[in-house]
Amino acid sequence: MISIDSLLALSAFGVYCHALFVSITLGFPVAIMALLFRYLKTGEEDYFRAAKVMTWVLALNFALGAITGTLVEFGLVQAWPGTILAIASFAFVPLALELLAFANEIAFLVLFIVTLGRIRTSLSIVILALYWIFAVLSGVLITAVNSWLVSPWGTGSVPHALYPFMPEFGENAADVQKLVAIKIIALASGLPLQAVIQNPEVAEKVGIILRDPYAALFDSYAYASALHNISAAVIVGLSIAVFAYALKWHKKRDEGYLKVVKTISPVILIIFLLQPTIFGHLMGEAVVEYNPTKFAMMEGAHETFYNPLISLVAYGDPSRPIVGFDELKRRCEEHGDKKLGDLALAVGLSQETILRTAKDMGVDLDKRKTEEILNLKLREICLSDVSRAEARTTLIHYAYYTKIAFGIIGFVSAICLFAGLSRVPLLSRLVLGIFKERAPVLLSFGILLGSVIPSVLGWYVREVGRKPWTVYGLLYPEELVSVVGYARSAEFALFMGTVIAMIVLFGIFCMYIIATRQRKSEELIRGGGNG
Amino acid sequence: MVDLPFFILGFAVLLHVIFVSITIGTGWISASSRLLAYIRGDHELERISKDAFRIMVVFELFSGVWGTIITVILAGFFPALTALATNVLFVPLLIALISIMIRIPSIAAFWYTWGRIGPRAHSAIGMLMAVSGFAIPFGFRTLFSEINSPAAVAQFISSGAANPFAAYASAVFWILYLHTIFASLSVGGFVVAYLMSREGYSRGMKIGYRYGLGFLVLQIPMGIAYWYLLGSSSQYIFETITFGSFMPIFASKLFIVLILLILGILGYTMGKVAFSKYAALLSLLAVLLGETMNDGSRYPFFVIIGKSGIPIGSFANFYIEIPLTAVYVILAFLIMSILVFLIALFYALFRRFLSEPH
Repeated sequence: MISIDSLLALSAFGVYCHALFVSITLGFPVAIMALLFRYLKTGEEDYFRAAKVMTWVLALNFALGAITGTLVEFGLVQAWPGTILAIASFAFVPLALELLAFANEIAFLVLFIVTLGRIRTSLSIVILALYWIFAVLSGVLITAVNSWLVSPWGTGSVPHALYPFMPEFGENAADVQKLVAIKIIALASGLPLQAVIQNPEVAEKVGIILRDPYAALFDSYAYASALHNISAAVIVGLSIAVFAYALKWHKKRDEGYLKVVKTISPVILIIFLLQPTIFGHLMGEAVVEYNPTKFAMMEGAHETFYNPLISLVAYGDPSRPIVGFDELKRRCEEHGDKKLGDLALAVGLSQETILRTAKDMGVDLDKRKTEEILNLKLREICLSDVSRAEARTTLIHYAYYTKIAFGIIGFVSAICLFAGLSRVPLLSRLVLGIFKERAPVLLSFGILLGSVIPSVLGWYVREVGRKPWTVYGLLYPEELVSVVGYARSAEFALFMGTVIAMIVLFGIFCMYIIATRQRKSEELIRGGGNG
Repeated sequence: MVDLPFFILGFAVLLHVIFVSITIGTGWISASSRLLAYIRGDHELERISKDAFRIMVVFELFSGVWGTIITVILAGFFPALTALATNVLFVPLLIALISIMIRIPSIAAFWYTWGRIGPRAHSAIGMLMAVSGFAIPFGFRTLFSEINSPAAVAQFISSGAANPFAAYASAVFWILYLHTIFASLSVGGFVVAYLMSREGYSRGMKIGYRYGLGFLVLQIPMGIAYWYLLGSSSQYIFETITFGSFMPIFASKLFIVLILLILGILGYTMGKVAFSKYAALLSLLAVLLGETMNDGSRYPFFVIIGKSGIPIGSFANFYIEIPLTAVYVILAFLIMSILVFLIALFYALFRRFLSEPH
């Protein structure tokens, strides 16, 4: 068995680093637009100054987001080259469309930076809004790709054929025979998929594996994920900004800083009212419907149990049981004595056909090993994978409920901060009575905690919750990993992890310097942009 | 349908190479001017360094974006080639990746530590920025040399495994790499000369010319050596550009290099401001033609092996019917992004929003 633990950890680390910058990329423009709008209405320089500082931070952040994004994208094709098969099929359309979003994102950002203060403020807001729309589109499309890994839309009942508890993932748009053949060849060769797909002419010999290239865009899991993830990222970005300014106000008592906090807090409140409630609920429903193992992990359901409250939220029916791993295992038993070979035969793949197909693809299969693989009992495969998922239950369960707890802290803090900075009957007095003049800094810290921790844990639940598969119900990470041996070593992961950590920490330090050395940034632009 | 993806890839590569030529060249001019300012105590050189830096910053992100676009195009349109490259060129690609990761923060550090730390340390950061710029093609150019004349891929095909550094054993790589670096430095010099001339800063213009001309002179023998080497190691490309369909492009490039040389010498010796615009444009055109030859002349092959090669179709994506509507929408929006970026460039460089206050 190929060891992939260190590479999985490295990839997760890279994704987290990227996510930090993405959050600022999505959140800061909202704050900058709000500040410019206030500047437009009031003409007060404090708003414009803050918008400029945040713009410079956004610029470096974008650069760091781009390099960590490149890292993640390269990481995907270099460390997990088996995913190239997905990129060339199911993920082709969303990833290709993402290119247009990414290129326009940077073009509008550069235009915004060089013209800020030189053109009408209203026009600057429009340019930044266009940038933000492309940034959101980019996020939506990347989320669609990630969502396909979690809910492989367009594969119909293929996962269900292997795991009877799995739902159908949309209408089948794939050539099942070819997908099964590739999977069996990978299993029988004992090699990652890269060893197969790197051979010239393989694609031509395999031919069409997906009839509808737009399938991934019609994934209802992707819609819920996009709303949930993008709004979470915006909140994280905004909460970093609001906390930074609240802290500055707390230290210096300069009213200019408080004006920024006052401008951003209603925006945070609105998104906080929608994100964990409506968007979170939609996400939860999608998990319940499409990720039965993940839902069981989240609820710690080794055994099926009744909880009217959770059932009402999850199914809209308080009388339904929360399906646990015992029930999932029972469903595995439905396979009886059926073998993988029977499944292959059902889609027209005999052992000879598989051996011949493998040879055509440049892979020499050992006949005995192939026979062994075809004789694997489906029940055993199913039970083994369910057990591998169940082994992660405790971690996922606590991560999920810690996320919920911190989400509540953030939610309450957002309401209180808004109340503390404006006039809400009773609540404003209550908040100021409890927190006094420390209300902005403490509550914005509560928002920061209540957005960052749920995001970190939420992503953890999303990614680890789909294990033992990388493509839910279809492919394991071992099948997608690089054939390059040293790339899978702990030393390599440690080396790359150190490089990434150094770059990210240095980048964050640079962003701090930019935020505190406004004049140096403005030297890049002649006259600094006077507004 | 394999031709369209090949041309889309070519378009992205050309655009990327043009932009990165400017950023690599201006990055070095900025860093080396900073170092010389410190060594010679010539503070005016710091102004050159800052101006070159500003030009680099404007281009850096947009050029990088096109690098990412190339990755997606490769994986999406040419999955077999990408899977093969990430195997046999794992180390070179990693070098490029790490260099990208160093480059961007070092750019920020170079600017924001200016005047805040000692000149020696600051110059060192500048050098890190410049050298990381050189290291990116040190990784990525192996891919180009491998598809021109396989070394690591050949080793992999013959023995089933390739030495992680096998691509660096190829003479084609080294000559191509040096040619690339000298071309970038030359372009950077001519671009700096042009923008300095617009500022009416004659010393800056002269320094720009010096870099442009000096590296053009170094680039010429590299170009000849590369052409000669292709004659023995990548005959298909050699014959296509020397006697075949790419001969007019080859001839145009030689002619442009000659004109550029003359313009450069005249501009430098006579201090002619008017020449600098044409020199900058011609240097970029020379890069465009050179890269078009290097990449396009392999058609209809992707990987060249002597007088023949592996056809593009062998690496192409047949897993799906490529959705042409989506492809055309993407192309339209990519062109829109280029137009928006050009507007930003106009404001940044020609409306002088990015120039030093006098």
